[in-house]
Amino acid sequence: MPDQIHTEPDAAQAATAEHFYSGALGRIGGVMGVLAPLLVAAAWWKFGPRPAIGFAFGCAIAYLNFYWLKRVIAGFADRATGAATSQSGQGIVFRFLLRYVLMALGAYVIFTVSPASLNGLLAGLFLPVAAIGCEAVYELYAALARGV
Amino acid sequence: MSKLSKLFMVLSVLSFAVPAFAQGEVASTGVNWVAIAAGFSMAFASGICALAQGKATAAAAESLARNPAARPGIQLALILGLALIESLALYTLVIIFAKVK
Repeated sequence: MPDQIHTEPDAAQAATAEHFYSGALGRIGGVMGVLAPLLVAAAWWKFGPRPAIGFAFGCAIAYLNFYWLKRVIAGFADRATGAATSQSGQGIVFRFLLRYVLMALGAYVIFTVSPASLNGLLAGLFLPVAAIGCEAVYELYAALARGV
Repeated sequence: MSKLSKLFMVLSVLSFAVPAFAQGEVASTGVNWVAIAAGFSMAFASGICALAQGKATAAAAESLARNPAARPGIQLALILGLALIESLALYTLVIIFAKVK
């Protein structure tokens, strides 16, 4: 009987924690969407329009890169678990490699059109790292304050 | 694996030592050692990040095959791991741009 008393709250807490952590990718995408305009505005105010436009390009490429990474990993997991998937193996590999081509193309275009924007572009590519950092801080807060 | 680690350590030490010793000869020989070192650094970063991504993906595939029920957690860890590993290569690229231009 005492075991049941301890087990039910533990199971509920585990379900809450699972629900909380399963939303991490969605939260990271949302944080990227919030951070990008704020940082572009800050870059425009601090460094001027050209680096800010480069930064916006970098953020867009990073967001697309992260979205494609999620899709590629989902297709990969479908394949690994033997689940039915709508993505072909070639498509998964093509999208995985296309991300690098897109980044290189964006950097080349920015470099040829406006070298001053290149630093902004490179900084923008780190948007997912900033979003993951924000998510890590939020999860730390949730673990410490709410015990999730 | 330990032999491979030693090999990478020796090669990385060599790649950093060459431009450091060659700084005084840039004007006389005209060889841009910084650019050469930058190329080697990017190659090392790309290669080691590729190894790390391959290892992470292989471990995730094995874990998924062993325990398909743990898919959400493994998928999340793999996505975050791959994104952070890619960012390490980007750090190297940024440092190279800052040093070479």
